[in-house]
Amino acid sequence: MPNKLLSMQEAVAQYTWDGMQYAHGASLSVGPDSVAFGREMVRQGRKNLHVMSHCCGQQLNLLCAAGAVDRVETAFSGLEVYGFPYGLRRAVESGRTIVEDYSNLNFSLRLLAGAMNWPFCPAVSGYGSDQEWRSAFSPEEYPCDKKIPEVMDPFTGKTCHVLSPLKPDVAAIHVTMADPDGNAIMLGTEWNRYELSRAAKKVVLQADLIVDTACMRQYPNLVRIPDVVVDAVVYWPLGVWPQCSTGLYDSDEEHMYYMNNAMKTPEGFDEYKQKYIDSYHTIDEYLAVIGKGKINKLQDTATWHLMDPYRKWIMSSEEIVKLMDGR
Amino acid sequence: MNYTRQEMMAIAAGREIYAGEMAIFGVGLSMLAGHFAKRNHAFGIKDLTEGGVYGATPVGGLPWGIEDNRISANATSFTHCIDALGMMVASGRCDVGIIGAAQIDKYGNVNTTGLWEEPANPAYLPPKTRLSGSGGAPEITCSCKRYIIMAAHEKKRFVEKVDYISSPGYLSGGDARARYNFHGGGPALIVTTLGIMRPEPVTNEFILTGYYHSSSIEEIKENTGWDLKVAPDVQLVPEPSPRELENLRAVDQTGMLRKKG
Repeated sequence: MPNKLLSMQEAVAQYTWDGMQYAHGASLSVGPDSVAFGREMVRQGRKNLHVMSHCCGQQLNLLCAAGAVDRVETAFSGLEVYGFPYGLRRAVESGRTIVEDYSNLNFSLRLLAGAMNWPFCPAVSGYGSDQEWRSAFSPEEYPCDKKIPEVMDPFTGKTCHVLSPLKPDVAAIHVTMADPDGNAIMLGTEWNRYELSRAAKKVVLQADLIVDTACMRQYPNLVRIPDVVVDAVVYWPLGVWPQCSTGLYDSDEEHMYYMNNAMKTPEGFDEYKQKYIDSYHTIDEYLAVIGKGKINKLQDTATWHLMDPYRKWIMSSEEIVKLMDGR
Repeated sequence: MNYTRQEMMAIAAGREIYAGEMAIFGVGLSMLAGHFAKRNHAFGIKDLTEGGVYGATPVGGLPWGIEDNRISANATSFTHCIDALGMMVASGRCDVGIIGAAQIDKYGNVNTTGLWEEPANPAYLPPKTRLSGSGGAPEITCSCKRYIIMAAHEKKRFVEKVDYISSPGYLSGGDARARYNFHGGGPALIVTTLGIMRPEPVTNEFILTGYYHSSSIEEIKENTGWDLKVAPDVQLVPEPSPRELENLRAVDQTGMLRKKG
């Protein structure tokens, strides 16, 4: 049985296409998202995407700035303390990209409904507001009764609001570490990555580290994404940059602001793309773009101890290359 | 005593969090107010983030986000959204939450989604300004037993009617909220850089119940976009004590609350 390791270029070429329903992240905005996968999608020129984005972060900011996004379903589109994402703002305010809003929990419940193959799912919050009455996908309808409709609860006879399931074509999910078969451990909160990994039709993992399967056999309780739901594994260290990956590196304050400011204008985006996307092909080149000094600083994280139990199973890049050649 | 209006706001909000409660704090200033309370007087609170970081105290200043390494550094449990925001908050179990707001109306409805040229247009057009979206605030506002809204007091923020209700407060006032069977009781108070507002019984319209040494009733009325009523027993809110300021600044290591105001 061959392992599931793929290069970033191959994974994006094979698992993404124009007009698809693409889901990413399912982490919080400055947290561990598959940002490097999004950079490669921009390089490969994907367009007309319908992005299920919980919560947007710099990846959606970048895809929107690239003009690659028609529709977004989200619950939070800010960069938290880093401010508003200017690329997304530009796309939304111009009408280029339309955004359908839900609450954070309701977005998660829609993924759960997709994962469970439920026809719909009850909500206990996030309605009785314009999130129910306004729909960007049915803009002429007000108040909208299709987005979070009211039904009768057959047990109590009371009214109940319900949500539709989400089943994205592909999810690119960041994990701290994966084995070559796609068993994965996430440090930090998993937010919705557990539900998303079961809701999506195909799953590509972007991993900061590849570890030996013996690690998974030591901590099977922590393997919240098992290989059976995973189609491909991409090894890409520092792949969340400039956001943070719990246990490995902090968010890059300087680059978070720099990147967001660049997204303000098409010229800024072009320059950013040239410097921080088109400028590398290999992992080594990518790391050189970030810079050794910067990487050392980011890795000086207060969460470093969280990695202690796992270090002995981390595979070297030579070992990973060997596994990939052997396919 | 030397302190900023933002610090006064954070302390006034923090004073409303009590020992032993289960509490959820949103991103940014809400988190500073919450962790100030935890350090200063609300001992034994069970606080969590909506992503499921339990038992943590931020290190190195205000976390950049609710899943930032500054808060993940010393957690006792990491879970996920359906657990924390769902089973702890939306279920009705959580006692108190703190949220922020871009726009607030007199019934405590909050907009964090966007600003529109013609908000009343039945067609849902692209916004003039896209804001951040609701995040988990609707879970807090629908389901926490009570919650606190914290915002800088400006006329453009405190409006007669919000452009978009992201997180429902008392909706159109009175008992309008009751038809939705939410687990939570609604907004308990609004704490701003100028004062404190609480809902009037029956109408649930927010009225001024407190002003600061650094503000005045006139200034608050001038900076509110609706005809703000003043409670007959409106009070002067005590200034921060030296101990309160010390505890707040120990949490706000990077000085987010001292930047302006």
